[in-house]
Amino acid sequence: MRRPKKTCPVTEAGIRFIDYKDERFLSRFVTDTGKILPSRLSGVDSRHQRQLAKAIKKARYLALLPYIRTQSAP
Amino acid sequence: MLVPKPLSSRVGNPRGAVTTKGRIAALSREYEAVYIFDSALEDATIAEKLEKHHALLAASEPITLDHWGRRQLAYKIGSKDTGYYVVARFKAEGKVLPEFERSLKLDDSVVRYLISVHEHELGAPPMTEEQLAARRARDGDDDDDEE
Repeated sequence: MRRPKKTCPVTEAGIRFIDYKDERFLSRFVTDTGKILPSRLSGVDSRHQRQLAKAIKKARYLALLPYIRTQSAP
Repeated sequence: MLVPKPLSSRVGNPRGAVTTKGRIAALSREYEAVYIFDSALEDATIAEKLEKHHALLAASEPITLDHWGRRQLAYKIGSKDTGYYVVARFKAEGKVLPEFERSLKLDDSVVRYLISVHEHELGAPPMTEEQLAARRARDGDDDDDEE
């Protein structure tokens, strides 16, 4: 049986440009440890996944998002 | 005796292609810069430093500044836990950027900076405060759902 197609959460939110400064939005697309969530899990389409990856990497550089979050941290 | 040819005839740009050093450098573009200042500095000192750096840009239009203020860093940078964030948007020619970056790099009070071409929807008006508040509220709801 085929799974129902996931809709892209970025398209759904009506976001045209993914802002690297919006860390609350970006944090929805990283795991608890800080890895970028694969699109097969998040359902983001490939165009937005590319934009997300770049935005997350910029946000990490600016210390808005952690590169890695260890288990002990809240 | 072997005389090496002048450098200009061997390398570079014999066909006169568009290069960063050439015509692109003179292009005026909209940039966005995010600075993280040392949070120990006073607000007036930060404003003064910003003015000093921005003077190098020779921007024709006024620079829009957005002070986020002091906030927690997601990880320690050196020994610092907090930083003072400032977002600046300006229109400048590409050729002034190297000197501008150099001055930022030499400034010890700038913990980190990022300059990028400002990407935004052309012709779209900036979001109003209400829209931003609504978006924040919506994001907040989403976070609650996940928890």
